[in-house]
Amino acid sequence: MSEATDAAGLGAVHFEVIRNRLVAITEEMRIALQSVSGSPTVTEASDFFTGLFQPDGSVVSMGFQVAYHAPVCSQFVQHITKRSSFAARDGAPAAIRDGDMFLGNDPYVAALHQNDVQLVGPIFADGEIIMWAGVEAHETDVGGMDFASWSPRAREVFQEGMRVPCVKLVDRGELREDVLEMIVTASRLPGPLGLDIRAFMATLTVARARVAELVARYGAAALKEAIRRMIASSEQKMRARLAELPDGEFHGLDFLEHDGHANTLYKFHCKASKRADTLTLDFSGCSNQAPGFINCTRVGLVGAVCGSVLPTLAWDMQWNQGALSPIEIIAPDGLICTAKHPAPVGSATVEAIWVTANATMLALNKMLLCSEPYHARAQGLSAGVMATFNLGGVNQFGERFGLHLMDPLASGSAAWPTKDGVKAGGPITSPFSGIADVERNEQVSPLFYLYRRLARDTGGAGRQRGGLGGQVALTLGGIEQAEALIMTHGAEVPNGQGLAGGWPGATVRQTWGTDAIDNGRAKAADYQVLGPKPGLMRMTNRDVFAVSWQGGGGFGDPIDREISAVAADVEQGLVSVEAARDIYGVIIANGASDVAASQALRMQIRRQRLEGANPPTSIGADTRTVGRIGECLQVVMRAGYLHVVTSGGATLSTGSTRWRAGAHKVTRERLAGAHAIQLHAELAVTAYYCPASGAQIAVDVHRRDEAPLDDIVLDLGRVSAT
Amino acid sequence: MTALGFFVGTDVGGTFTDLWFADESGTTRVFKTPTTKDVQTGVLDAVMLAAESVGLTIEQFCAKIERFGHGTTVGLNALLTGTGARTAILTTRGFADTLEIGRLTRQSTGLNEHEYTDSFLRNRHPPLVPRSRIVEIDERIDVNGRVVRPLDEAQARAAVRALSTHGIEAVAICTLFSTVNAGHEKRLREIVAEELPAAYVSMSHEVSPNVGEYARMSTTAANAALGPIAGGYLNRLEERLQVAGLKVPVLMMTCAGGVLPTAALNDRPVFALFSGPAGCVKGAQAIGAAVGIRNILSTDIGGTSFDVGVIVDGAPIMRADLSIAGADLRVHSIDVDSIGAGGGSIAWIDTGGELRVGPKSAGSSPGPACYGRGGTEPTATDADLVLGVLDADNFIGGRLKLDIVSARNAIETRIAKPLGMSVEQAAWGIRTILDSRMADLLRRMTVERGYDPKAFTLFANGGAGPSHAWALAADLGLGGFVVPAAATALSALGTAVSDFQFNTERATYVRVQGSRTISAEEASLIERGIRDAAADVSRHLAGAARTSIRVDCFAAIRYLGQTHHLDVQLDGGSFAEPEFRALVEAFQRHYASLFGATATYAKAGYEILSVRAVGVGALPPPALASRGDQPRAGRARRVFFDDSAESHDCAVWHTTVPSEGWSAAGPCIIEFTGQSVVVPPLARVSADKLGNLHVRFKS
Repeated sequence: MSEATDAAGLGAVHFEVIRNRLVAITEEMRIALQSVSGSPTVTEASDFFTGLFQPDGSVVSMGFQVAYHAPVCSQFVQHITKRSSFAARDGAPAAIRDGDMFLGNDPYVAALHQNDVQLVGPIFADGEIIMWAGVEAHETDVGGMDFASWSPRAREVFQEGMRVPCVKLVDRGELREDVLEMIVTASRLPGPLGLDIRAFMATLTVARARVAELVARYGAAALKEAIRRMIASSEQKMRARLAELPDGEFHGLDFLEHDGHANTLYKFHCKASKRADTLTLDFSGCSNQAPGFINCTRVGLVGAVCGSVLPTLAWDMQWNQGALSPIEIIAPDGLICTAKHPAPVGSATVEAIWVTANATMLALNKMLLCSEPYHARAQGLSAGVMATFNLGGVNQFGERFGLHLMDPLASGSAAWPTKDGVKAGGPITSPFSGIADVERNEQVSPLFYLYRRLARDTGGAGRQRGGLGGQVALTLGGIEQAEALIMTHGAEVPNGQGLAGGWPGATVRQTWGTDAIDNGRAKAADYQVLGPKPGLMRMTNRDVFAVSWQGGGGFGDPIDREISAVAADVEQGLVSVEAARDIYGVIIANGASDVAASQALRMQIRRQRLEGANPPTSIGADTRTVGRIGECLQVVMRAGYLHVVTSGGATLSTGSTRWRAGAHKVTRERLAGAHAIQLHAELAVTAYYCPASGAQIAVDVHRRDEAPLDDIVLDLGRVSAT
Repeated sequence: MTALGFFVGTDVGGTFTDLWFADESGTTRVFKTPTTKDVQTGVLDAVMLAAESVGLTIEQFCAKIERFGHGTTVGLNALLTGTGARTAILTTRGFADTLEIGRLTRQSTGLNEHEYTDSFLRNRHPPLVPRSRIVEIDERIDVNGRVVRPLDEAQARAAVRALSTHGIEAVAICTLFSTVNAGHEKRLREIVAEELPAAYVSMSHEVSPNVGEYARMSTTAANAALGPIAGGYLNRLEERLQVAGLKVPVLMMTCAGGVLPTAALNDRPVFALFSGPAGCVKGAQAIGAAVGIRNILSTDIGGTSFDVGVIVDGAPIMRADLSIAGADLRVHSIDVDSIGAGGGSIAWIDTGGELRVGPKSAGSSPGPACYGRGGTEPTATDADLVLGVLDADNFIGGRLKLDIVSARNAIETRIAKPLGMSVEQAAWGIRTILDSRMADLLRRMTVERGYDPKAFTLFANGGAGPSHAWALAADLGLGGFVVPAAATALSALGTAVSDFQFNTERATYVRVQGSRTISAEEASLIERGIRDAAADVSRHLAGAARTSIRVDCFAAIRYLGQTHHLDVQLDGGSFAEPEFRALVEAFQRHYASLFGATATYAKAGYEILSVRAVGVGALPPPALASRGDQPRAGRARRVFFDDSAESHDCAVWHTTVPSEGWSAAGPCIIEFTGQSVVVPPLARVSADKLGNLHVRFKS
């Protein structure tokens, strides 16, 4: 094993070999976890995390599951090593020894929310810690006042699931059975939790054995050097990526309704400031913390940033600490995404963390939209929400049970400039997610599905259509009654926003049919539309819960969509005839599109959009294009001044990219039925049009009492210099 | 042993059609012909070559064939290119989007390890059948097999009739819980037969009797799409061979590693989808049996992929499902895992200035730079040429002259210069990185399953396998490796020497909570499943196998709440409380060996998901012999081994099949027509009675 080596004794070849191996080890950890785990959230839905860390907690390598969790595990390692009872002090050696494993789930220390139980352990080589291995999974119940540990009624974190800041569960290889017993006893589902903790131990054992083999082969020094270089390499690539992107300020805005107690609207604002090879994400504009369980702690905010930045900007590099290093986060305490103790945070992952990530990804995609090499990768928002349906009680086998339905992951993905969004594509913050078969769910749980399918008209309209979300209708099977926890956001907020004139996908629609089932078959009944968070409900085998999830955001003006593509959408049942007409301007008659009538309708729609508009201004010819905002807006230079002009020839702004002032706008507080978008009482939607052509340039979701933001403010000094 | 006739095995790959045959004396030969578009012409060309080699006409040759095995990628290619039969699906009302939703996992199928993190690449493959040809039927059966909503025959008939204008060639029927109650599927089949009499029909409870509608529907749809094609082509091939004088049936290799007469596969072509990889592992198993090796890592390195199968104690490790472009298929198969690493793997420097190899491949066109077909990117083959492993004048028996100048140029401009290395150092780096990725896969296939790789013998197959095996074996700490005499056509060999095999399963969901034992009613459900599956297997094999049939039964069992199960063999056909206890104990033992004793958790209870019957009808294998030649010494050359700074003088030998007892010291290279066996320094190579080469490292 000889090759030309650098000063640290590690050549390019062995570096690549070790890097591949470390990534492979996090995959092998995944296999061990999934094989042993007893939680469908782990085995079928991939709601878990595996990773390797440097002794200081820096992420070395992470699996392809929930990316939110990487910095959380990292923080847990730091907490352990700094904690006085474990750290070395007064000349005494550290109380962290080979074979130890530490368990924790406290969101005020290092967890996204209490259900995310994690286990980490040091890996020793030559008597010192060379790395840490970590594993985390969502556990359905960790105690607290309500089943599944999510309580809409909670006002303090003390009412929620148990919190373990940090406990040594395995001491030098010996499982502390008393500690394990204490932990599983707090849960309504001790069996699955016990099996999962065993799976965690098996996972860390695998990591230790594999790293030991690497150390034996290459030596601890080479391994440490390879890790250092892996992180440096990803940092260098991330900085290079950032340097390629345009400088400026990019804003992402999203909202979350209902805090469990009242239907209050909370704002999430991410201001992304990019300069050279650094990125600052400022969340100061977010609402203050809520009195209910939707908040997240600062740990959750950092997780949300990680989960957003990696898939959006670091798609082609190895995911580790280096890819996160160029990013600074600004956020004062006490916000909905930096809640202070003892605020309740039980449902943080699907509420504040999810929506923080939404706002962040929206901001970052606007940066891509203005980039020459990467504008084709800019998209609106995928999977703006993961609605919740939990069910607990006694199952058809006479056992106490609890299930966390993962089907709501099947929401739609956003469209790209070159292709439609993936139907039921799910979130992009996890490279892999999955849902269980209907038959498997019915086999092991007291569920009976009336349907599971794609929900028509949920995909955000656009030149490229957002992916449709899924929908299910369920009743109980094999039991008479159970307790359901039903909650979501995005029932009155269209989180799945579009981009470049594309519409958001549909909002979540939850309905409840009482006495709607007779002997397993649906019968005529009144279905009541539920609000975002009906909370705990008693469910019988005569009730039906039906829900459709959000679609992904569209891209571009829907009346620019190919008429034949709209006709195909109608034929396949993806778009209704009404939506084709009202939103896409396509007339479908007898199953076929009427091209002439559609073209006429599209002309009419453009004219209607511009009713009352000021005449367009134009700077005329003789311009030089120096930048872009997507495909319909160009930044041009003329006679020493920069302007934003539309492809229709209108000039919208001069001297800055705050182009909204020059566009014609129409604000609506209610949208046509074909959009399937419900708006919260405090929300409005404003569409911006090119005053020359009537082309739809942007669709903004905003508070009624606040004007839409100028979301793209390019640093024109740098634009003109290029 | 009395002289039998000829044993012939054929395997149709994307580029070449391989033929392996053993004559009456057991002497074996290998032939390759280009694969033809109609497939059977390529097979017949190969048969012609074989006949010529023994001085017979094709008629004389075919008349002497005792067994004719066949494997093919025709079905797989049809699915990958969407050229299967025009297929419709009938399913339960409310569930027509099952394929499109695809458990959310469909969208990431076909992504390699460098693509997972890029959501832009998702949804590369469309669903097997478009939504416009999926029809919902008013009916519903629940988890217990109870008819919740009776089949609306009038609606079903109208819906099926409406399909007649769509040019439908095949229909897949997959309704919820048909595995528990097949009544509605069977009735739908009758309706289809009446309304679309020409259509090929597959029912999910027959093709893939598993709970889990996505994989069952995918499997049934794939089966239906393949039916009209596979059946037609196999029948034509058999006809042409019979016209030429073949007196025995064509036996088709299945994914599970057994063969079946083509007629037995007419209603389940999906069983033979991956016959090539299965044939290769079976070939390794047969060679192992002949020379007394029972634990084998069967490796195959071709141009684009590295395939691994694992044989433990004489039997291949199996898996329950396959993932192909855009679909999860539940087909009981030999577990062959694969990564994109082969001779064509391209070396590149990423944006961070780091050396990477693969997963992109130059394929065969333009191919590696040294092929001189316009390829400019450096590949693993170029590196092997620079390192002296390959002989520019003797690649594929000299049929393709390799251009070392192009290889050096590609490596120099793309890799060596940017990284400040010598060309040899860069080539060495390319090979080392590629080999280490392959070794990682070998580790995953053994260590991850609780096996110590050191307990295995590595078999090196495929064009590039024998030249990389020394590095893989060293990486894993093995004592050496074996290159079978038929290393370039092992899949073909496998089709000629495997037993009849048919398997099926029955869903038998039984849930046994922690402290409880199994009830008489539950035990009888399982026993019924065993009997039923065993009877089904016997029925399918009865027509095919003239020999006695052995049926083994297995239960799929897991801890209550888990998703992953283990297959545990059952003892005999009856099932009651003592058998349940034995099953649970065997499961716990197996589980502890895989995941450690601390991971066992009897308190959780158990779930028994299904039972499987595997029937085997033994076919006597040929007694193989070798008529080897004494390898001739060639011109020695310099070759780099595990040091990029120092090359070794390396003896070179030429042979087609080495004669028994031939032996040489490393470092040396033994050149065959389609491969180069690399023997590193301090190792020794010797040929056994069948012409297999055994390379042993000095311990």
